[in-house]
Amino acid sequence: MPLRDRITDVWRTTTARLTVFYGLIFAVGILALLGVVYWQSALYLHQRVEGILKARAELFMQASAAELPGRIRQGLVFEGGQQVNVYALFSRDGAPLAGNLRALPKGLTPDGGPLDTPPTADFPFQARLIARRLPWGEILVVGRDISVLSEMRNIMLQALFWSAVIIILTGLVFGAALSLSPLRRVRALQGACREIAAGDFSRRMPVSLRHDELDMFAATVNHMVDEVERLMSEVRGATETIAHDLRTPLTRARARLHRLEQAIGDPDPRAEEARWVIDELDTVLGRFRAILRISELEGRRRREGFVETDPQALVLQAAELYGPVAEAEGVALRVDKGAPSTIDADPRLLFEALSNLVDNAIKFTPSGGRVRIGVEEGPRIVVQDDGPGVPQGEQASVLQRFYRGERDRLTPGSGLGLSIAAAIVRLHGFALSLEDAHPGLRAVIDCAPEAHEI
Amino acid sequence: MAKVLVIEDDDATAAEMGSCLSTAGHEVRREADGAEGLTAALGGGFDAIALDRMLPGLNGLEVVARMHAAGVYTPVLMVSALSDVDERIAGLRAGGDDYLTKPFDPGELAARLEVMLRRRCWAVQTSPTLKVGDLELDLVRRSARRGERQIELLPMEFKLLEFMMRQAGQTLSRRLIFETVWEYYFDPGTNLIEVYVSRLRKAIDGPGERALIHTVRGQGYKLDAA
Repeated sequence: MPLRDRITDVWRTTTARLTVFYGLIFAVGILALLGVVYWQSALYLHQRVEGILKARAELFMQASAAELPGRIRQGLVFEGGQQVNVYALFSRDGAPLAGNLRALPKGLTPDGGPLDTPPTADFPFQARLIARRLPWGEILVVGRDISVLSEMRNIMLQALFWSAVIIILTGLVFGAALSLSPLRRVRALQGACREIAAGDFSRRMPVSLRHDELDMFAATVNHMVDEVERLMSEVRGATETIAHDLRTPLTRARARLHRLEQAIGDPDPRAEEARWVIDELDTVLGRFRAILRISELEGRRRREGFVETDPQALVLQAAELYGPVAEAEGVALRVDKGAPSTIDADPRLLFEALSNLVDNAIKFTPSGGRVRIGVEEGPRIVVQDDGPGVPQGEQASVLQRFYRGERDRLTPGSGLGLSIAAAIVRLHGFALSLEDAHPGLRAVIDCAPEAHEI
Repeated sequence: MAKVLVIEDDDATAAEMGSCLSTAGHEVRREADGAEGLTAALGGGFDAIALDRMLPGLNGLEVVARMHAAGVYTPVLMVSALSDVDERIAGLRAGGDDYLTKPFDPGELAARLEVMLRRRCWAVQTSPTLKVGDLELDLVRRSARRGERQIELLPMEFKLLEFMMRQAGQTLSRRLIFETVWEYYFDPGTNLIEVYVSRLRKAIDGPGERALIHTVRGQGYKLDAA
């Protein structure tokens, strides 16, 4: 799977989404917290500054007109090198008389509200000023450095920025990290599901000891598969019993009918009628034989007949056996020579599977068509025809028994050849797949499916 | 006409086997369990034995083994409900000469027994040629001739013709042919044997010549000069 898809997958998990969601809520909380802290502190500082300014103004106003400039200078002396306060005295027409402002700031009205000014050459800080008109007409300006307020706002904004960065980063990292483990479990569940869907009903979904929602889900699916397996084996058992039990009376009926046909003798049309019934019975018996053969193969778990086998030899053998059949059908049967290889297999069974595939391919290839068999890299045994093929949606189902696709309906035979081949291939632990050969069908027996899994 | 010993515990099956073998002109004796069957077989005088694979007392495989141990090599047709190819091979390996799965067609039983009996004769046959009517098969030079006409045959066709000539007059089912000539034990599909036989027929029965290979509908094929 490409990395981009994996990353997408990680972000699609519930855990990742939840982590991001919680991160967002947390960020909003932090924002609110810092906002409230800032707002409250600012309010407090403003009140403090205003209180101080008013108190200072009162203090200065207690002095007489003659004392006042001295007091202002004195006050400024106490500042030392630090400039924190603004004290200034202006004449009635705005000319500076004393203090550390050389001009009356614009917009500042005596006895009006406070005014905030940006840093100037006189007072290099942001300041809040109030002005008072003295009883003798002069204007007193008292101010205080309020850069601490904007300083505080900066600190808050920075805190906000950095905490946001940290929250987002840790949120992403933890979200990804936390969702990796459930994602791995989901992958395992998917794998199990795929195997079950492919027909391995002994497979179960992995259940951990956590008893979390994934386990609950897996247990439910397992329960369902149990039930499917039980039903499948019931159906299988029923069909086997039917096939097995009906075979004896049908064989006897066929024998009686044959005797009857012999007794009637040839010119009589009833003999022809009897032969027709015998043919039909043979079809039924052939199908039953195939069904029982499949269950016989499915019941086998032994590998005792297994020896080192050269698939190429089997291919040549099959080509030799079916050569005349292909010729009679007007189909060109060709063997593609491949590199020699060895596989661990039961050669008799594998030959039976291959024969079924070749027979099937010849059967469905119109006269003038071609069938190619060979061993490809892998090793993979390939039987390819250029007949009508199998529709995309039916490719998996034609390998199941009792499935009769569109193409089976018009053709004689048990129609179970592919199912027998599939059962033999499964018994070997190989994989049989049907592919579209554009046109035609390409049946592939992969003799080392584990090695080719992506 | 041969003396056949049937060792089969199921009465219905035994009766069926008996009636069909009698119809084919054989003399039949039946035993119902392994031990008695073995005693009868060791008593000798039988040309063939039809033996159930699963018997009370001694099972079929053991019966054959003890017969062989006692030096009795009467041909044995193993009859069994076990159709698994492995079972079949185990039966043949244990010394059965042929293996028939239940349920079987009585005609098939008779035919297989016949084939088995004749096959015993092949071994003692000294003539290097087989002859049916004007058809001659030279087993040493691997060549076939009909009258004055030389017939070209592929190795498999030769093998098939040899089998059919040895069993001349006998109806041979497709299954029997496939199992004996090719020695494969599966259903070869639609018309494999049909194709091989019709090729052989084309080679053997030339235009204007009397047909030697006959199709017996619902049964199989027969090579016959009559």
